[in-house]
Amino acid sequence: MDNTDKEHVEERGNSAEWLLLTAVFIIATCGLIYELVAGTLASYVLGDSVTQFSTIIGVYLFSMGVGSYLSKFFNGHLLRRFIQIELLVGIVGGFSSAVLFITFPLAASFRLILYAIVFVTGVLVGLEIPLLMRLLQDRVAFKELVSRVFAVDYVGALLASLIFPLLLVPYLGLIRTSLFFGMLNILVGWYLLRRFKGEVKRTAAIQLTALLFLLAELAAFIGADAIMKLSEHLQFSDKVVYATSSPYQRIVLTRNHRELRLFLNGNLQFSSADEYRYHEALVHPAMQASPQVKRVLVMGGGDGLAVREILKYPGVEAVTLVDLDAVMTKLFTTQPVLTAINKQSFSDKRVKVFNQDAFVWLRDNRQQFDCIIIDFPDPSNFSIGKLYSTSFYQLVKRSLSPAGYAVIQSTSPFVAPKSFWCINATLQSVGFTTIPYHNYVPSFGEWGYVMITQRPSYQVPDTFAIPARYINKGVMQQMLYFPDDMKTQQPLAVNRLNNQALVEYFEQEWGNYSEQ
Amino acid sequence: MHRREFIQLTSALAGGALLPAACTRPTIIAGEIKGVSAAVGHLVRDGALQGAPVTTERADVVIIGGGISGLSALRRLHRNGHQNVVLLELEGHTGGNASSGSNAVSAYPWGAHYVPVPNNNLTEYLSFLEACGVVTGYNPAGLPVYNEFYLCSDPQERLYINGSWQDGLIPASGIGAADKADIDRFLHQMHVWSAAKGKDGKEAFAIPVDASSKDPVYTALDSITMQQWLQQQGYASPYLHWYVDYCTRDDFGTTIDKVSAWAGIHYFACRKGRAANAAANDVLTWPQGNGWLAEQLRHDTEGAIRTQALATRVVPVEGGVAVHYYDVQQKQLKAIDARQCIMAIPQFVAARLLPDAAERMPLLHAHYHYTPWVVANLTVKQLYERSGAPASWDNVIYGGASLGYVDATQQQLQQLKPKRVLTYYRPLATASAVEERKLAQQRTHAQWVQMILDDLRIVHPDIDTQTERIDVMIHAHAMAQPLPQMIHGAVRQQLRKPVNGNIHFAHTDVAGVSIFEEAFYQGIQAADAVMEHLITTPVS
Ligand SMILES: Cc1cc2nc3c(=O)[nH]c(=O)nc-3n(C[C@H](O)[C@H](O)[C@H](O)COP(=O)(O)OP(=O)(O)OC[C@H]3O[C@@H](n4cnc5c(N)ncnc54)[C@H](O)[C@@H]3O)c2cc1C
Repeated sequence: MDNTDKEHVEERGNSAEWLLLTAVFIIATCGLIYELVAGTLASYVLGDSVTQFSTIIGVYLFSMGVGSYLSKFFNGHLLRRFIQIELLVGIVGGFSSAVLFITFPLAASFRLILYAIVFVTGVLVGLEIPLLMRLLQDRVAFKELVSRVFAVDYVGALLASLIFPLLLVPYLGLIRTSLFFGMLNILVGWYLLRRFKGEVKRTAAIQLTALLFLLAELAAFIGADAIMKLSEHLQFSDKVVYATSSPYQRIVLTRNHRELRLFLNGNLQFSSADEYRYHEALVHPAMQASPQVKRVLVMGGGDGLAVREILKYPGVEAVTLVDLDAVMTKLFTTQPVLTAINKQSFSDKRVKVFNQDAFVWLRDNRQQFDCIIIDFPDPSNFSIGKLYSTSFYQLVKRSLSPAGYAVIQSTSPFVAPKSFWCINATLQSVGFTTIPYHNYVPSFGEWGYVMITQRPSYQVPDTFAIPARYINKGVMQQMLYFPDDMKTQQPLAVNRLNNQALVEYFEQEWGNYSEQ
Repeated sequence: MHRREFIQLTSALAGGALLPAACTRPTIIAGEIKGVSAAVGHLVRDGALQGAPVTTERADVVIIGGGISGLSALRRLHRNGHQNVVLLELEGHTGGNASSGSNAVSAYPWGAHYVPVPNNNLTEYLSFLEACGVVTGYNPAGLPVYNEFYLCSDPQERLYINGSWQDGLIPASGIGAADKADIDRFLHQMHVWSAAKGKDGKEAFAIPVDASSKDPVYTALDSITMQQWLQQQGYASPYLHWYVDYCTRDDFGTTIDKVSAWAGIHYFACRKGRAANAAANDVLTWPQGNGWLAEQLRHDTEGAIRTQALATRVVPVEGGVAVHYYDVQQKQLKAIDARQCIMAIPQFVAARLLPDAAERMPLLHAHYHYTPWVVANLTVKQLYERSGAPASWDNVIYGGASLGYVDATQQQLQQLKPKRVLTYYRPLATASAVEERKLAQQRTHAQWVQMILDDLRIVHPDIDTQTERIDVMIHAHAMAQPLPQMIHGAVRQQLRKPVNGNIHFAHTDVAGVSIFEEAFYQGIQAADAVMEHLITTPVS
């Protein structure tokens, strides 16, 4: 330690030591927070939290070791160096999550950036404690010094690990959390600078840097939502016009010059450019086939687009829609961009919306419907797989009038033929006549539907006497034809609650597809 | 990763962060210890209820005990037109080891929680299941069609082994080729034995147990322990040994070094049920477990049931049986003069009520050993999940102290379950039964909570913060252990012999194997014996 530093620090007596220990405490907290932020963020965007956490903790600890080692090359002006490091940690750590959120959608090698940031932060944090110990070493007996500094350091770490999940993530979010602690780091530097004004040379430059950094982080802190939006915008490649979260899913709406797209949990739900192809194909075959349709049930379909098609039939007296997510149906009842697409179908007096679990609702239902439209998410997990089971279809059978038709969106028969034909087989096993068909929806690819009835057979109607852009007799005839590449030779299991065969098929098929 | 998972993750982190704190300081979680009414039961043991009854009434039949055996007997008698029957049950509710409870989240079991798909030759059992809507019909091949709401939903079982969850309970993930070969050979041998018949033409391993072959080739297995048998057969894999031990603890509360090899093999080889719409290893289950079946058995017989009625003496008298019982609510000793009596209670209780207790008790002490069990119901919020197979109905930890937990909300239909009730099972089979019973009765609620959380924290690090409530029930004498010579030895037969032609025994203790089907048939057989006597002996 350089002589001037030593003397000045000594002069200040106990209060200076106390102050530096407080600094240790704060920077220890900050240090752990950056690590937690990186780990959480990586798990958030990359998944597999165990791997993410373990590699990030590893890299972080290692780079702290590097920092400690490097500290021996710092000689002279230790206090000044220390303050500079505080500012650097503050800016790198503070902006880490904002940078990571923005680079994730852009960078091909996101992991590289991630570990680089973790490494740099780790090195800087690793420098802090050795430098501080050297600053304090002549004031305090070595034994005492080590014990106090490390005690305070570990208590800071404990505090960080407690408040991070309990307060910070829920209330501040990741971006603001790291910015907040970045500012704390800078403030520590700033305060030390003021406190030991006489001992550090050329304070003006450092002060100015600190101020600039602080302002930058403050601005980012205030604009954190915009950063998040930007990240989503980059991720979805189009402009995000609306984004919200319900207890069940993240709902994001994007727009480009041509179309509006809705994403649920990152999966494309529809594109305004071609959704009519999907919804006309979903709704009209069953509506046309069912005689004298007065009462219609829609399950899923919280976007109101299937309902829009149903309301084209003047004979319809009541449409019941059951969708789990109230945020979704409310959005499609009130948001002008969205109601423009669904033609305000949810505001029609004939429509009644129930935000309930479809299985539970149907089990308790005692009405019969003339036509039923089922538009659930794909069976990608066990809890959704239930909605494609024999038990569910038994309830559908009970709720469908004897001459009526129902239809089930049944994923892509091209990508997932086993899944598609498993749904078909499951419907047959409960005694339905099935009419599988498919069409091309550009933004989805080849898509499949299974229409069901208790009647022995189905006849393509001569005319689809409703205003439509896509469907007509010829299209319907085409849709019924399946080329060989959408079929499977394998005997398929029936999907039951007690075997969930469909989820297994679906995982295999879409898993393979997305790996390509 | 989606937002919801993200929130789960961070709350899991919260759990992780609190870990150091949780390790040093006991977590305070609401709940209570629900004892089977041990205090009331001990009145019999301590001979406190020996006075003269205040009232006496008459009945054709008295059934003592409202577990599955007693309820099954009652149902059988009712269905055959015998209405003048009284069932005495010491608890405030019937069900016995198949009792259940419920809270705002779900109903849940306090004991038995499932039955496997029934063997197809069990006609009475299948027709009972048909009457309560579990079997909805038969397919053209004659196989029962099960109500799929009652077949356990997939995913059914998972095992936490070598750092992650695998699908199914048979160790598979991360095991070596030699282990796998041992396991396959074992399963194959069990498969062969499930179809085996003895020289007498009977199934080698049947349900009920007493329908099994007496061919010494098989009954000889009742003289050694399961562990000895595994060793004799050259099974060395520790994974296989663990799995078999898990199974015998699960069904008999007895470890492989103690359980009879015949009983152990019976577990694997007695199930042969085939169904139209279920796989061979599927099971039937309900949120309240076999409590649901107990309710169905009780159907229409409620008038005959007296709860909080503790039988204290069963005395053969001229032309019948006098049954004394203590009415816990009115605090009165009462008597019923019956023509026939069915004792659907454990042997260690039955013996004390009979006049020849002095001869019975030494036999029981020598041959009947009851394992204590603890069952706990945990109400939990979202739990952090380790990698691998998703949360299932039955969740077992390899090498764990307990049998893991069963999710009582598994059969709930809704997609999202913000809270669940997990039923935790643990036979207390480490020390001797007597010691374990003593220890169990001394533990405080906080100590049980600690014991349970310490076990489950391995798989759910945030369990301390995510658990809202833990209720604990101690079954001090949960079941009699099928030790060597229990099933094919002489004592069981001796103790179950009807007394005087009008006192009959019906309990899973009598069967030697504690499963629903045995209890169900114990009840039927006793009821049939009773009816035979009622018909042949005219009313005096
Ligand atoms: C924790 C646990 C889990 C189990 N899980 C399963 C399972 O999943 N599947 C399965 O098939 N089996 C299971 N079993 C086995 C279960 O014991 C049997 O299936 C069956 O329920 C036993 O019925 P029981 O009528 O023979 O006996 P019990 O259930 O013991 O019935 C005896 C009844 O008699 C009453 N009683 C006792 N003394 C008196 C008295 N003096 N006067 C009046 N009443 C009296 C008791 O209160 C009780 O209700 C489990 C057992 C336990 C303990």
